[in-house]
Order: sequence, then structure tokens, then C-alpha cells
Amino acid sequence: MEKPVATLDKGAICSAWNYCGQRLAAGSVDGYLSILDSRDPLSSSFTSSFKFKVHEGCVVKVAWIPPEYGVAVACIAEDGTLSIWEELVEGTNPLEWKLCTSFKTSSKVLDVQFSVTQTSLKMVAAYSDGFVKVFELLDPLELKNWQLQAEFQNVIDSVTIVGKASCLTACISWNPQNGEGQESSFILGFNSDTPQLNSPKVWEFDPAHQRWLPVAELALPVDKGDQIYSVAWAPNIGR
Amino acid sequence: MPGVSSDSARGALVPLSPESPAAAVYPLRHGLKSPISRLSISWSRGNSLRVSVFAAPSSDGSVNDGDGGKVVEVKLGGGDGEISEAHWRRIAYGSVSPFALLQSRKNAVFSLSKFSMNSSPYDGDWWDYIMEYSKDINALLVNQKSASVPVLDDPKSVITKGEEPTSLKAAWELLEMFYAEKPSHSWLPERLVDWLADYDSLFSGTHPTVHSKLVDFQKELVNLQVVEDDPKYWEVMSSALAVGWLNIVVKMLRLHGSYRLDQLSNRETENGLVEAVAVLISKMPRMRLEHEAGKLGECYKAKPDFVKAWEKWRGQINKLDSSAFWFQCAHQQTREGLRSMLQIMLGNANSLCSATYNWIELYISHFLYMRPLTVGLESMYSLAQKSIQLKPMASAHRLMGLIIGILGENTEVVLAECLKGFGPWMVAHAIELLTAGSDHAEMLLHEERQNLGGISIEELHRLVYAQVLSSFPLTWQIAPIYLISCMKHGMVLLQRLLSKQPVQDNQLLLKSIEICRLYELHSVTSNIMKIAGVHHWKHGRKGSGVFWLQQARDEYRLNRIALQLFDSVGKTISDESFKQWEGLIQLLGSDSKTAGGLEFLHKYRDFKKSLRQIHDGKATDSARQAVESLISLMKNPSTPQRFWLPLLYDSLKLLNWKERPLLNVSQTNLLLNKLQELSMARLRPDFIESELPPQALNSVRLALGTNLGRAILEE
Repeated sequence: MEKPVATLDKGAICSAWNYCGQRLAAGSVDGYLSILDSRDPLSSSFTSSFKFKVHEGCVVKVAWIPPEYGVAVACIAEDGTLSIWEELVEGTNPLEWKLCTSFKTSSKVLDVQFSVTQTSLKMVAAYSDGFVKVFELLDPLELKNWQLQAEFQNVIDSVTIVGKASCLTACISWNPQNGEGQESSFILGFNSDTPQLNSPKVWEFDPAHQRWLPVAELALPVDKGDQIYSVAWAPNIGR
Repeated sequence: MPGVSSDSARGALVPLSPESPAAAVYPLRHGLKSPISRLSISWSRGNSLRVSVFAAPSSDGSVNDGDGGKVVEVKLGGGDGEISEAHWRRIAYGSVSPFALLQSRKNAVFSLSKFSMNSSPYDGDWWDYIMEYSKDINALLVNQKSASVPVLDDPKSVITKGEEPTSLKAAWELLEMFYAEKPSHSWLPERLVDWLADYDSLFSGTHPTVHSKLVDFQKELVNLQVVEDDPKYWEVMSSALAVGWLNIVVKMLRLHGSYRLDQLSNRETENGLVEAVAVLISKMPRMRLEHEAGKLGECYKAKPDFVKAWEKWRGQINKLDSSAFWFQCAHQQTREGLRSMLQIMLGNANSLCSATYNWIELYISHFLYMRPLTVGLESMYSLAQKSIQLKPMASAHRLMGLIIGILGENTEVVLAECLKGFGPWMVAHAIELLTAGSDHAEMLLHEERQNLGGISIEELHRLVYAQVLSSFPLTWQIAPIYLISCMKHGMVLLQRLLSKQPVQDNQLLLKSIEICRLYELHSVTSNIMKIAGVHHWKHGRKGSGVFWLQQARDEYRLNRIALQLFDSVGKTISDESFKQWEGLIQLLGSDSKTAGGLEFLHKYRDFKKSLRQIHDGKATDSARQAVESLISLMKNPSTPQRFWLPLLYDSLKLLNWKERPLLNVSQTNLLLNKLQELSMARLRPDFIESELPPQALNSVRLALGTNLGRAILEE
């Protein structure tokens, strides 16, 4: 029933498959990122084809960038740094993975997810102080320049700001449906000491006001303040 | 499965309550030595699940024996043990055209029936279509392997090599028998007799069968001198007789020692009795249309004829049974053996029960000898139940479950048995047979159900099968045929399937695009092309990248590429890069939409080319040509202002031409004016300084001034 397809090196701690399930990115405790491929498209046995150091500390999460923007992986380190690495061939150099950009702020990045809208690539990053930032890629062919589009907290009431929040983990999931006429939306939940931040909320972009608005809160009144560990958006198949 | 949606048009988020029965739990072997610290799950193609299992990193720095983690792929629903993977793929590929043909015929029939007055769209042709479909699929299920089958060429062998039957084929034939054949053609009990003759061996693995006894006896037969002394000989013959394998019985009877030429004189009576039984067997009346050539028994189509023949036959058996010759038969085993065979032929329930080994065989024997006139599924079902009671089985075989479901006329049970015993392929294709003649089944299977998300059972199973096909790289390409036959969810799943195909392999890419085009999935097509374009561009294959982006009509990225090309204007670049740059401009074409006109780039390219042809102030003609291009470029309004200085700087060689001034007075004045404009423009705040050495402006000015002087002198 089950078949082993890959063996990860010692210290591997997180992994992510790319959009077509043909490549696996694995991060390890000593700061290395491995990329595994299968030699033959028909076989299902994956071996490491690249391994390079991305951070000094442990890599806690990896996420692939949508293929419309290249072959790239975003890595989050234990110290909260976010870096984006891309597989490129530049000039006459052989194929290699290069650092495109790196974000370091006082608060740590906890989770990052990407979404392709009709016009651009958006990145949502959740931080340890309870804030979430939405970035937009300016140039579709370069993963270097990201513009901060919005910054807000995961609370319904946008007026008050919850200060001194301390979050352990966060989870984000984009709505995979990007049909015409539909604005992009994502769901965000935190695992923190502040109950208002925790409950998973669906955020949708309002183009008229150029703002992100919470359109739903997925929590029963009873367990609103519970910590959230993981969210995932189901693919919409026709309803 | 999707959660319950509310009925309101706007749609509300409703929590999914876990009312469904407990989820199935499967143990997963990962082979890691250390304890697990984390798990990561991800759905791959179709219904494969990939689980990454991470071992706890050692905190004390000691060498951790074993790996850091393992990734396993899980595909639930393992294959059929009797069918190899290659054969399954052949079946999958072969089923596509019969299925597609039937669907198109169905659509045609339905659209016609809208215009006609018929209440039911199914007519005579429809049964032919169904039969054709069934036969096409049946042909795929033939196994290449051969196995032992009871047949009769060699005098001493009762079993010979033939095609090895599979449960899948047996199941398909059952469904064909009960659902696809037109009602008037069915002599169901007799068909079941034939079916058992072909497939009894399938039960040998788990149950005792007549077939296995035959096979065992065959092995011993070679060593036997006097067959009639062996009690097994008589047992096996009785059993074969009970299930109607008349040819084998008669053949075995003729092995009897009394036929031997040297024995004939002594054992005349014995031989007479054996022959009499053999003749009676070969004249057994059967209620069926016709036999295959060479098969024993007399066929009768009409009930009155059959009944008459049956009574006569029974009369003959009784006469033989009560004749005086038995006392004259010396050989005890022969006497007893033949008489028990007569009992079977007379329909003695006990004899039948002891001669058969499982309930199906008993069931068949009842049809042959006790109730040959059984018609109707109800009576067949109750008879089956009685047989099961008389011969209860410890374990069930998937075919047995199927038979019960079919006889019980319970469509849902039939579907469940097909799914459980034979997998999604069977269900997806068998539904066509089940809905063929029965309005009830059709309603049941075509009705849209809320608990399934608004789709019918038929669609559900096709989607499930398509998911199975999508899970394997060698069969995903046939999944689209099944997906598009599903009205509701098929298209979206097809889009997902195609979006998740990799683009690195060119053949695969072209195949995906072909399928997209076939089903007019334009947005998916352009997206796939976009991904391919970006992939090629970033991996050094710029030409291919531009090609695919153009196919995808991705103006956004093409514009960016054009802007990147602009960056090369005014810079010295190597020959190799120039060629690439030139090639890209060529590819991009002079489409005026991109970056405000690539017209400039084309002209610039021509200018650069002509510049390169000039070596060391010698070839004046080409120099003049270059000057012409320069002037036309500077005059052209589509030339962006920021490129004026780079252009002039590039052409310093021309401006400082040793032989003679290449520009006349008016041309030089034009350039000087442009330079003046440029100096004015530089004072503006939004001016973009081009990356040239600081003395560029001065060198150009100097060169132009010198040229002006020389030009005036010339005139």
C-alpha cells in the first residue's frame, strides 16, 4: 500500500512538494535546503540534486513559489528570517540556486504563503507580533523586489491594535480559486497567547478601498480563542 | 467529501459536523529507526498521498544511525492480485474507446428522443450498442496466461491447457449475462451452467471445487492401471455429472476397463451397463437454444417439447435403474458407481448434495436435475438461498457476493460488491450495463444526490476511476475522457489535472496542451504555456522562453523582457550576447503593443549591426549606411530620449571618421540640436541619467563640433 519514494538526510525537519509533485524541498536543522528530484519522470524515486546552506540556524518552514514566477523556494529560519532562493541559469554559468532576497525584521516570520492573482504574485507573511504583511512582486521576471501592500492584525476590529502579542506559530492558506470577478482571499490563524488573534479568519481584498477585509471568522463561539495549528483550503470542484 | 452546503443562494459557511462513520485507519510503515517528531502530508496526483516522516533530531549531538526522514507515497486500494500491472494498463487503455463510443451514442439517442414521441429512448439498436460495448470490454479481459481446463483431446487426459480465467472476466460475464443480453435471449440457468464450467477453477483457491478434484484425479490417472477400482474415479465422475460437464463424464466412462478389447467378452453385461449410462447421459435434454459443436445433450427451445423429452428420458433412466442386469454385474464398484450416477440424473437431493462441493455447484445441479424449468430472478434467488443453507461456506469469494447481489435484484448491493471485489474500473464500466434495461436502476444511479454534493452515483464512480487513472504517470492521459462525461465536477477536475502536469518534459507539455485544446480549456492552456515560458527563460533557454510566452499571449512578461532588452542599448556587449539580444528582438517582433514599440529596437539592432561591420575607418560605404541609420534613429519619434546620448556615444567612431566627415552640415546641426534638447531635459527632475562615463557628453559634443567644422569646409 505504501511505497517509500525518498530518504531525507539527517536533521531534516520540514518539507514541501512543488505544484506538480515532481520536486521536493527539504529543510534541515543545520540550515541546509535540499532539493530532491526523480531522475526519470516515470519513476517515483527521488534523490537529492541540490543541497546548499540557506541560513545559519534551523530552517523551520519551506514553501514553493507558484511556477508562473519561476522555480523558487521561500525558507523561514528559526530566527525569523525569510529568504527566497531561485534556480537559475545565468549567462554561461551552470544551473544553480541563488539567493534572490531576504527579509529580516525585529519580529519573526512564522509562516508564508504565495498566491497568483491575475495581475501579480502576492506573498502573505505572518509575524510573531501578531501582524500579517501582504507583499506584491513588482517585476514578474525578478524575485528581488517586493512591495509592501498591506499590514494588519488578525482581528475583526481594525481600530484597536493588540499590542505585545507573542505568537508561537501561524498558518496561512490561500483560496485556490481565482476565477474572473472573484477577489483573492486567504485564511489566517495564529497560535498565540492573545485569543483575538488566534481564531482563523478569511481575509478578502477589497479593490474599491484597496484594503484587506475580514469576511468570515471560522470559529464557534465556544472555542473562539483556541490556538490554531494548521489550516488548509479545499479545492473547489464545482460548487 | 465536501461539507454540506446551505441551500441559500448566497452560501454561508457551515461547520462540517463529524456525523460520518469512523474513518478507516491504516498503519504506515516508514522504516525509520528513531522516533518520529513530525509529519507532513501532501496530496499528489489523483489519489496518491505523500507523507513525509521526520525523525527526531538528536539533541545530544550523537551520531544518529539511520536517516533523517522518509517520504512515502500511499495509494489506497491495491490492485487485483490476479491481474498484472501491464495487463491492467491494457484494460484501462482498451476500455476508453468502447466507453467513449457508448457515451456518444447515448447522447445521440437522447437528443433524438427529444423530438420523437417515444416514452423510452431505448430501442432495438440500443441493446446492440450495449452488447457491442460489453463484448469489446470482455475481449480486453482475456488473460494471456494459460492454465488447466477440462477438455478432451487426448484419450488419457481430462484436463488440458487453455486460457487462465480471471475473476474480473468472470464477473464481467455475469453482468453481461444478466444485464446486457436482451431478455428474450436469456436461458439464465443454462447460461450459469456454462459460466460455472468456465470459472469453477477460480473458487479452488478458497473453497473445495469439482474442478480441483478433477485436476487432482488427472494427476493420478496416469498411474492407474484399473480405473474402475479406484473409488475416486466414480466420485469425480458423479461430481462432474452433477455440474453438467457431460462430455468429461462420458469420456471418463469410456476409460472403463470393460471397453478394453481383451475384456469385452468377459464383461459384456458390465460394459452394456456402462455404455447405457453413457448413452443416457449424452442424450440428456437441456432447456436451451443450442449447444456448442461437439457438446453432448439434446437442446429444446420450447417448454412442451422439453417436458415431453424430459419425461421420456426420466422414464428410460428409471427403467435402467430397475432392470435385472444389475445383479449380473460382477464388479461392485461399477455397480454402485453407475447407480449413484443414475440417482444424480434422477434428481436425488442427497446425491446432488454429496456430489457437489460448494453452494454454487449445488445450485447448478439443482437447475440441471431438479428444477430445469426455473424462470425468473425471484425463484432463482430463493433457490440460491436454499443452496447456501445446505452448503454454508466459511469464507466468501468476491464472485459469490456478486452473484447474490445480482440474483437479489439489488442494484446497490451489486455496485458495492463490484467496488469491493473488483475496484473502481469495474464499477465505472459496469454501471453502463446496470442501467441498460432497468428504469429503476437508471433512476437510482442517475439521480443527483445532495449527500454526494449534488452529483449522481454514476458520476461519482466515474470521477473516482478518473482519480485512480490520474494517480499513475502512464494512465493520466485517459482520465480526461471519463472526466468530461461527468456533467458537474468533471471539467474542474480536468483543469486541476492538467494544471498539475510538469512542463519540463517537452512531450508531456505538448500532450497537456493538446488535451487542453481538445476540450477548449483556454485559460489552462495559456497558464501552462506561461509556466513553460518562464521555466525556459530562467533556465537559460531564452528563445524558447519567449516563444512560449508569446504562445500564452502573456503581454505582461513580454513587456518586461522587452524592457530588459532596452537595457542593452548603449552598452558594449560581447558578440555572443549581441547575437542573443538580436535573436530575442527578432522573436519579439515589431508588435507595437509591447513596451511602446519595439520598432526602435529593430532599428537600433540594424544600426548596431552596421556599426560592427566597420573596421578601423576603412569601409566608407558601410560607414555611410551606419550614418543613415543613425540619423533616421535620431529623427524617429519612437526613439526614447534617454537613448539619444547612448546612441551618439556608440557612434563616436562614425563622428570621428578619419577619412572625411560622414555627416553633412544639416545632419550635424540636427544632432547638435538634439544634444541641446537633451541638456535642457537634464535639468528636469524626472530625467533618468543613462549609465555612461561622465565625459560622454563632452566627447560627443567635441566630435560633433569637429564634424561640423569639417563638413562646412567640404561644402
